[in-house]
Amino acid sequence: MSKALKAKDQLRILIPAGKAAPTPPVGPALGARGVKSMDFCKEFNARTAHIEHGVPTPTLITVEPDRTFSFITKTPPTTYLLKKTAGIEKGTGRPGHEVTGTISLKHVYEVAKIKAKDAHLKHLKLESIASTVVGTAKSLGLQVVP
Amino acid sequence: MSFLALSRSSIRQAFSPCLARGYAAKSSNTERVLNVSAKDTSAAEEKTLSSCPPGTILEGLNYLKGQPPVIALPDDEYPPWLWDLMKPKVYADDGPGGKAEKKRLRRENQQRIKDQNFMKTQ
Repeated sequence: MSKALKAKDQLRILIPAGKAAPTPPVGPALGARGVKSMDFCKEFNARTAHIEHGVPTPTLITVEPDRTFSFITKTPPTTYLLKKTAGIEKGTGRPGHEVTGTISLKHVYEVAKIKAKDAHLKHLKLESIASTVVGTAKSLGLQVVP
Repeated sequence: MSFLALSRSSIRQAFSPCLARGYAAKSSNTERVLNVSAKDTSAAEEKTLSSCPPGTILEGLNYLKGQPPVIALPDDEYPPWLWDLMKPKVYADDGPGGKAEKKRLRRENQQRIKDQNFMKTQ
């Protein structure tokens, strides 16, 4: 309980925006590192208040040895954005063989614009980000047409 | 007599539309056809790059609260590299030892290994 962490601990987790709760999976993951989940949930919900409820938000939580925590939120996953745009529920289990839907290059451009807001992508050209979005679309079984 | 002639001619006009009035209608029909075909060719010449017409609502991308729906713009408001995204990347030939040659050789080697692996399964 009172063991100090040797080095800062990092935790990557996908949380629906505005809906962080102490229940699993958030609760035990944080509790194991000595972080009060209620504090985290309040702060997370406050920080994601501008995002629609329920949109999965990847967060990176850094826990310092003295149990203080900080976290970074990122843009929703590309697969989530593509599935919403294409109107499909799930990607295909056999990409390359099955086609789940069609998407236009304009959709790809808009998704890339959203992803470009991420801090870890800001050094990339929008063209490069767009080609990664195309790759993700292929893995979902979405056909990209001009 | 003249009255009869008049009435006959009026009847003829009423029953046969291919008279002065009809001619006008016919020519307007052909004019319409010509205009439509001209518009078609000009549209084809404009060459719509995208299958997504401008003004289409791209749903699901307004993930912020109160964000208005994202709408597709006209084709020329998108950067030109967007339309070449799906085409295979072309590398300018830099001569021997250049990037293009390296990419080509790598692709050929990978394909050769794949073919050899496949033949081993036969």
